[in-house]
Amino acid sequence: MTTIPRQPRLSERRRASGIRRGEAASGWLFTAPMLVLLGLFLVIPVLMALWVSFSDWSGRGSPFAGSVGFVGFDNYSALLGGGGLAEQDFGTALKNNAWYVLLVVPLQTAVALFLAVMVNRQILKGRGFFRTAFYFPSVTSSVAITVLWLFLFNSTGAVNKLLSFIGVTGPNWFNDPSGIFHFGVATGPAFLENSTALGIPLWDWLGGPSVAMSAFVLLAIFTTSGTFMLLFIAALQNLNGEVFEAAEMDGASGWQRFWRVTLPQLRPTLFTVLTLGLIGCWQVFDQIYTGTKGAPGKTTLTPAYLSYQAAFQDQQWGQGAAIAFLLFVIIVLFTLLQRWVLSEKKVSKRRLRAYRLPETEGAVVAPTGSLHKEDRS
Amino acid sequence: MSSPTLHRREQPSGRIILGRSVLYAALIAIAVVYIFPFLIDLATSFKTEADAAADPLSLVPATITTAAYEKLFLNSDFPIWFKNSAIVTIVVTLGRVFFDSLAGYALARLHFRGRNAMFAGLIAVMSVPSVVLLIPKFLVINQLGIYDSYAGMIIPLLTDAAGIFIMKNFFESIPQSVEEQARIDGAGTFRVFWSVVLPMARPALITIIILSFQGSWNELSHFIISTQSPDLTTLTKGVASLASGQLSQGTQYPLKLAAAAIMTIPVAIVFFVFQKRITNSSDGSVKE
Amino acid sequence: MQRRTSRWLAAGALAASGALALTACGSGFSSGGSADDGALTSSNKALSVLIGSSGDAETAAVKSAVADWSSSSGTKASVSAASDLAQQLAQGFSSGKPADVFYLSTDALAGFASNGSLLAYGDKLSNKDDFYPSLVKSFTYDNKFYCAPKDFSTLALEINTDMWKAAGLTDADVPTTWDQLETVAKKLTTADHVGLGIGGEYARVGAFMTQAGGNLMNADSTKATADSEANITALDYVKKLENDGTLKFAKDLGAGWGGEAFGKGLAAMTIEGNWITGGLQADYPDLKYTIVPLPKGPAGAGTLQFTNCWGIAADSPNQKAALKLVEKLTSADDQLAFSKAFGPMPSIQSAASEWKKANPTLVPFLDAADYAKGVPTAKGAADVVTDFNSKIESLATSDPKTILEATQKNLEALVK
Repeated sequence: MTTIPRQPRLSERRRASGIRRGEAASGWLFTAPMLVLLGLFLVIPVLMALWVSFSDWSGRGSPFAGSVGFVGFDNYSALLGGGGLAEQDFGTALKNNAWYVLLVVPLQTAVALFLAVMVNRQILKGRGFFRTAFYFPSVTSSVAITVLWLFLFNSTGAVNKLLSFIGVTGPNWFNDPSGIFHFGVATGPAFLENSTALGIPLWDWLGGPSVAMSAFVLLAIFTTSGTFMLLFIAALQNLNGEVFEAAEMDGASGWQRFWRVTLPQLRPTLFTVLTLGLIGCWQVFDQIYTGTKGAPGKTTLTPAYLSYQAAFQDQQWGQGAAIAFLLFVIIVLFTLLQRWVLSEKKVSKRRLRAYRLPETEGAVVAPTGSLHKEDRS
Repeated sequence: MSSPTLHRREQPSGRIILGRSVLYAALIAIAVVYIFPFLIDLATSFKTEADAAADPLSLVPATITTAAYEKLFLNSDFPIWFKNSAIVTIVVTLGRVFFDSLAGYALARLHFRGRNAMFAGLIAVMSVPSVVLLIPKFLVINQLGIYDSYAGMIIPLLTDAAGIFIMKNFFESIPQSVEEQARIDGAGTFRVFWSVVLPMARPALITIIILSFQGSWNELSHFIISTQSPDLTTLTKGVASLASGQLSQGTQYPLKLAAAAIMTIPVAIVFFVFQKRITNSSDGSVKE
Repeated sequence: MQRRTSRWLAAGALAASGALALTACGSGFSSGGSADDGALTSSNKALSVLIGSSGDAETAAVKSAVADWSSSSGTKASVSAASDLAQQLAQGFSSGKPADVFYLSTDALAGFASNGSLLAYGDKLSNKDDFYPSLVKSFTYDNKFYCAPKDFSTLALEINTDMWKAAGLTDADVPTTWDQLETVAKKLTTADHVGLGIGGEYARVGAFMTQAGGNLMNADSTKATADSEANITALDYVKKLENDGTLKFAKDLGAGWGGEAFGKGLAAMTIEGNWITGGLQADYPDLKYTIVPLPKGPAGAGTLQFTNCWGIAADSPNQKAALKLVEKLTSADDQLAFSKAFGPMPSIQSAASEWKKANPTLVPFLDAADYAKGVPTAKGAADVVTDFNSKIESLATSDPKTILEATQKNLEALVK
């Protein structure tokens, strides 16, 4: 028997519209503060900055005044190919930040995941204490932690004292501009020294972060692994235990269980953590402003700090805005790249065969991790 | 399929005990690494400068001195910084609780034209990195005439996209029946929101309170661009200027570390009070 | 999908119209409104003075001088010490609410003068002929004398007398040539301290460059001279001493600047300017030291001079009063008082002999004014110098020619 969808009775419908009549107005009223505030302080600034990046506004008067000229892509081309100091500084900032991201994001994700798995064990007593301990650094201000870090990583500070206990002389952390992947070699082979990208020799690009930047890398891992640990714990607790039992029954070892069963199911959280990590790392500013301001040897210069410096200290507002937008593009690109890398690709036929149960047609257990709801992307 | 149940009433085997001890040892070691820096911070703030330089690792000062704290509270602008941070944080937190829940409720429950576009816009706005906003926010604040004032410090922070998102998600998870009932009883939309739905939203509100407190207490770049006079300096900006130091003064680590310690105390208190809320929440709580 | 795009268009149009509306308001920005040439603004508003203080002594001294003027002239004035002078100045100018009177460095002059933020009042000063000509040159931009030099400092050699005696050296051994400096530094280098500890930056290493007859730019800052043979000679000399272990940069000694290394006993000698007296007095009062002129290089005597001026904002509503304040602050009495409080030398020639009488141990600083050279003042030069400084940090393992050639390229781009 087919059921005809029941039309609401006329009286009911009218009453519904009567109750909901004020809704549209309320809806707009309720969201008005959000619209005004976000519009004023998020949307309009972005448009304004876009205009400034295409103009030669020098810092006095309104950027929309008649005397301010449109210079097209001049600011951008100076940064990307001008051959002068602007390009070199931008290249240096990009190099520093790229290495920072390359080191911090995987390491903090791995540490967060490791801690989450450890803390999530049921048999563990004092879970709350450990969770608190690992999360506490995330709560503090980056300014306070940077001040603390300046003390700890002083040339005669706590960290070097600890290293001396195991016979290692620690470097003068925040004052050492040598790249860690140079291993003390001062100048590289000629072909690397002479070919440049964005005005910086390839030898420098391959040198990795400087020792000073490495101290910041450790700072980042210290302060953000806790937040992501919580995200992973929440995800781990939502996992379905049956799949684990099934895997155990199939003879999977602990490591295999983790790699083949747990991790794929954590994919959406992993995606969130990596995305947030990327976005955060590309914008590192507070620690640089508080700590080294780009020194030593411009090896802790980052695009965000360069943008601030160019605009607020050197009065090059157009260039500062251009740097900010280039950074925006980079962040979007990296996020898309990471999304593509992590997207659920079809399982290859070869892999599929490993999971095919014998003597059953088509019965396949493939780890597609479909037990979660699709994350916001 | 029933899995065989094992009666684990017998003593755990030696191997399991070893595994467990290794686990505990590793966790304790890592916890020490995470906690030790803060202990050093506190200890050093009570040392003399020479002591701090000579013995950076020890947790017990050679002579306990409160010189750093005295200088901080009596000889510097630190109390002003603290006052400013407190004012801004409290107003912003209250503001965010109110405006975020208002907007979140509207986006979750109220039907009006443009709701979907608004929500899409919200997501788009969330993805704009804050560094892009450094320069232009300064320009807008200037243009509006609220530069170098409490208004300029507070108003732009009064609502944030992430908070609205959290509130919207939460409101969507509440069953509609209670609201429908209130409406049928004749309550207006705001009344339904304020008296019926909001009290039910306590967990999400607490999350917003924690995140707002943390976010505005620890905010730095916004205060750099929105103020210039020394009376309006906040803790973050002030301690940052301490850290970069001035020419003729020595490194003064106990002073700087004392400032960092005091700066951390309010967020730490909020954290410990609401701890269970944070660590159990599975909403995407993110440190900005 | 169509509906959504039209919604986005609507939203975009809304945003664009909002932006346009804002420009119509434009209340926050001051658009033009600068005074006519020659006419200074005047009002009853209080004056705000922004300084970049080196410490409590300087702040107190400036505050008291300004308060004196305030009570005698009847115009209120307040002094604030900036935590980041360059940034606060820039923000002040862009927001249209700058301080009325402020410290302005040679670095910052070109940038702010070119965008109209400064009032060129130099020619209106009643004591304008009293300033040292080289200082006036430092603050002339586009042929306009912009602001009154407030003081200046030169670099000299400071020697720790205890360490000097312990190394068996006497007054006759005070170095007057580069070779003598090398010998003396070697004798003074021990396991505990290095012979010469200086800041690893142009502002110190540049002294050697002047002694070899070179500098980063010419006297007018119109031509780049960074890659000259003289500069290469100078940097080679510094590099040699570094590799011998007799010269170390302050950062490598774990100090923030040469004075700290000197004060902590990490270096037996240092090269610093007048400000070192105040710094040592405050933090290392027990240190015994003497000040001697820097040694002569291949081209004779040379040193760097540093100076700041009192800038007056073009947007200041009370420029008349500001000018009077500046005239008082650059008078002999005030400058000698400042000198006593925190070290730098008066910028007016008439105060020279009295200053020498009051500071017999500091005479080498003032004598050096005869041959001191200024730092580059071209627009954007500060950035190039920062870049140069970052390269100098690793001088011991770099090639001076490469560093100087890169700097030359950057400087040439500025004066094109």
